[in-house]
Amino acid sequence: MLATLAQAVINGLLIGGIYALVSIGVTLIFGVVKIVNFAQGEFVMIGMYISFFLASSFGVDPLLSLLISMPTLFAVGVLVQHFLIRRVLGLGDMPQIFLTFALSLLLMNVALLLFTANYRTVQTAYSELSFHIGPLYFAVAKLIAFVIAMLLSAVLYLFLHGTDIGKAMRAAAQNREVAMLMGINPDRVFCVAVGVALALAGAAGSLLMPFYPAYPLVGQVFVLMAFVAVVLGTLGNVTGALIASLMMGVAESLGVQFVGADSGLIVVFVMLLLTLALRPNGLFGGWAR
Amino acid sequence: MKSARFTRSWFWVAALAAAALVLPIVVANPFALDICIRVLLFAFIGVAWNLMGGYAKQLSLGHAAYFGLGAYTSTILLIRFGISPWIGILAGGVVAMAASLPIGALCFRLRGPYFAIATIATAQVLMLLFLKFRDFAWGAEGTTLPNLGDAPLMMQFESRAAYYYIALALLALGLAITYRIERSWMGFYLVAVGEDEDAAEAVGVDTTKIKRHIYLISAFLTALGGTFYVEYIYFIDPNTAFSFNISVEAALVSIVGGIGTLWGPVVGTVLLEATSALLQSWFGSGHGGVQLTVYSLILIAVILWRPSGLIGLFTDLYRRFASAGAARAKEVPLDG
Repeated sequence: MLATLAQAVINGLLIGGIYALVSIGVTLIFGVVKIVNFAQGEFVMIGMYISFFLASSFGVDPLLSLLISMPTLFAVGVLVQHFLIRRVLGLGDMPQIFLTFALSLLLMNVALLLFTANYRTVQTAYSELSFHIGPLYFAVAKLIAFVIAMLLSAVLYLFLHGTDIGKAMRAAAQNREVAMLMGINPDRVFCVAVGVALALAGAAGSLLMPFYPAYPLVGQVFVLMAFVAVVLGTLGNVTGALIASLMMGVAESLGVQFVGADSGLIVVFVMLLLTLALRPNGLFGGWAR
Repeated sequence: MKSARFTRSWFWVAALAAAALVLPIVVANPFALDICIRVLLFAFIGVAWNLMGGYAKQLSLGHAAYFGLGAYTSTILLIRFGISPWIGILAGGVVAMAASLPIGALCFRLRGPYFAIATIATAQVLMLLFLKFRDFAWGAEGTTLPNLGDAPLMMQFESRAAYYYIALALLALGLAITYRIERSWMGFYLVAVGEDEDAAEAVGVDTTKIKRHIYLISAFLTALGGTFYVEYIYFIDPNTAFSFNISVEAALVSIVGGIGTLWGPVVGTVLLEATSALLQSWFGSGHGGVQLTVYSLILIAVILWRPSGLIGLFTDLYRRFASAGAARAKEVPLDG
């Protein structure tokens, strides 16, 4: 019983690392640009397909294709911010919500047209590999994904706290007007913020590929998790999103283990509604409040 | 002066209504009539959404919750208790209204994108629950409705035109309610809430109450659409009744047509369904994704270039025509 519990917690933490990459992106865009990106999951999907095609056409290991998916999605993020999001800033809720929502619909359906609804998987040498410590099993692919996800989160933390552009992003998140008075160029900061967020989504996609199938609607799973984690972790708070994502992973895993295999989503939605009802400001305060 | 414009707009409404009434007599092709029924139904759902999303700017992406509740209530009453869907449709509306109270209490504390996300979650939770209800709601497999032949008292008809007229009546009801609300104090309160909730609260509008009231009406109407839909297609399952696409389409037709306008959802549905029918005749129905790809492109274009919706294009054109006419015949004053 205790071993089952511990195993469920470990499985949840490992997948929670991937959720963290997605929700950190959502919270970063919300904190800096003040937009909720409904399409974040679709960029995970794009990252997965990039890794899939690199693996199936050129035999590139999905973990290595991180070096391609992240810069590609960074560039996509800059373009999305410059040509789409920038045009609806300050226009009210309707355009702001439905622009990224339409983008999400568009990307899903274009993927459906181009790649069909088939599940695509990549088999690597470590896909089926696992080891155990005592009674607990660790899937190697998930463990690698978790470790890299945590490393990327740490790099992001250093980036936000140690570089000028990172500090500018935090400043813009805290108080946009004052940041601009201090000579921060908002367009540049916003582009970098969206670019970084999408690069993280792309990384999540590549990291998932060794053990998770790619299909056009795959992003929905991750974006819903991310929304819950972002609310739970206090909007705009990167560390909060990270901790909340790990919690979400564990909650989902416990739900699947002890309530039933198809109850993962119900657990997520109930947690979302409970959070919104009881702690609409999340569990943590944050620099972007 | 005012009455001239007033009679003129009523003339157009009467002409449109007359055209809509004779349409099934002219259009005999069942495929074309099916498209017309879909247009009327989705325009009606759009009108119901628009009361909430358009006037009060509460951008719900979870109206499938009420569509599904309406569909399931009437179907359960019909199959389990043999109660006519004519009663079931009203019962469904009442169930939806009852559900909107707790859902509203939860979601109305949230603003903007978080309201939208919370409404998505409520509709999804309902769908997941109905997937689990195997005993009295047939679980994931769903069920076909019993075919009773030509039974008008049980909302079943041999002729497709009958369904057309029911859908038309629903749309007329939705438009009439919207028209009444637009011209009442409630309409002004709604627009005030939509423009700036804090300001509306500050000048004494009970924003929570007004949102609750409009949500009741919107949920009731959406549920009527749900009952009609399952009666029309003779089938129900959670993925159809609580389909996320219903929530999306309700919002989409309103935004494309013109959010917060009486005729916006109608214009939007006609444009989108016409596009969809054309796409189907070009690409066939085998290509999943074509329709929503085009819808989302239209939506992005509307948001970037005409966030007030496409109805403005038509009224501009109409005004140009009208003023050209007025210039020719000076005795008809236009400005009220």
